[in-house]
Amino acid sequence: MHNDPTYQLLASFFFASVVGFLMQRSRFCNTAALRDAMLFKNYRNTKAMLALMIVGTLGFTALMTVGAGHPIVFEVGINQFIGLFLFGIGMVLAGACTVSSWVKSGEGNVGTMWAVLFTFVGMFLFSLYWSAAYWPPASATMSQLPNLKGLQLGVANAATLQSQTGIPAIVFGLIQAAVLAAIYYKIIRYERAAEQARAGAQARAEAVAQTEEATAAAIGMQRGKQTAGNR
Amino acid sequence: MEFFKKTIDPVVAMVIVGLLDIFLFLVVGAWTVGGGETMITGLIAKGILGHRLDRIPFWVQDFKPTFAYWKMYISLGMFFGAFVGAVLSKEFYWRVPRHLNEWVMITIGGLLMGIGIRLAFICNVSTFFAITPQINLGGYLAVSGIIAGAWVGSWIYKKVLEA
Repeated sequence: MHNDPTYQLLASFFFASVVGFLMQRSRFCNTAALRDAMLFKNYRNTKAMLALMIVGTLGFTALMTVGAGHPIVFEVGINQFIGLFLFGIGMVLAGACTVSSWVKSGEGNVGTMWAVLFTFVGMFLFSLYWSAAYWPPASATMSQLPNLKGLQLGVANAATLQSQTGIPAIVFGLIQAAVLAAIYYKIIRYERAAEQARAGAQARAEAVAQTEEATAAAIGMQRGKQTAGNR
Repeated sequence: MEFFKKTIDPVVAMVIVGLLDIFLFLVVGAWTVGGGETMITGLIAKGILGHRLDRIPFWVQDFKPTFAYWKMYISLGMFFGAFVGAVLSKEFYWRVPRHLNEWVMITIGGLLMGIGIRLAFICNVSTFFAITPQINLGGYLAVSGIIAGAWVGSWIYKKVLEA
């Protein structure tokens, strides 16, 4: 049943509709998760991203431990760093990543529709280059084995780690989830400290304002007495 | 329809998405967008160029245009779900960027995203929500790349806003 294409298409469409709905209603944005943290020290979306990564890590590695699920067979290569570096610049400039560009287009944002259109153009332009040169990695270099000439390091994920070391995949998952949770906790602590600092500053400002008011009132009273005396 | 007007806490929303993602991983594969977008590109190109597209090896060897590619329906589903959410909460309205520099930034940004996805063979969704949770070591490379890129992008963005 799992290999029936219609079933796969329906499952992915259903999944994505719910995701699109939840993203629209929660205003989650992966671009904002990185950009707002860097530019404005706002971690609203970063926390949501970490939460999803923690849930995913635990779920995927648990399934991979028993050999279930469909992990991506995916070569580790330098092209991932360079490609995602370009992508990272692009998503901040466009103000939307692959997800939010579809979600915001669904809200009627013409700018993100334009971004999607040019993502297609970029992909097409790249497909022309792909035919001309065999680097970046193509089928020949991506042989699932380390190939230093093609800057490919072979496949390595929780399942291969399990088969090579004998340690269940879930152990690696627990370690990664713990690291992500530690980052999450650090963000919460930072937010609390910032909140307290803001509350403290406000209290101080109020206290200063009160003393100023009292002084002004006292001076006013004195002046009043003086004018009364002059009369 | 007051229920639909409330903004959901993004952490709660993403935990639900995470659980659904695990279900999708079990039946077809983890959530990803880049591959689907490539297939849509291929189908559009096929529609415009017809048989001439076969001269480009990428569309013959790597991505033969077909409608039976499940990842494509993820993009369409997200668009549909967001549209429904926006209509129910009465948030749907046409938003058009006003300034020329916004259009220029969006155009360059879109191109860079498309090129980046094809060079890396993954997008940001597969980076954060598919291969890194599978402890694929390429995920760590990709995460470092996207953080560095977002930093440079934020710097440019700030310069443009200040200018």
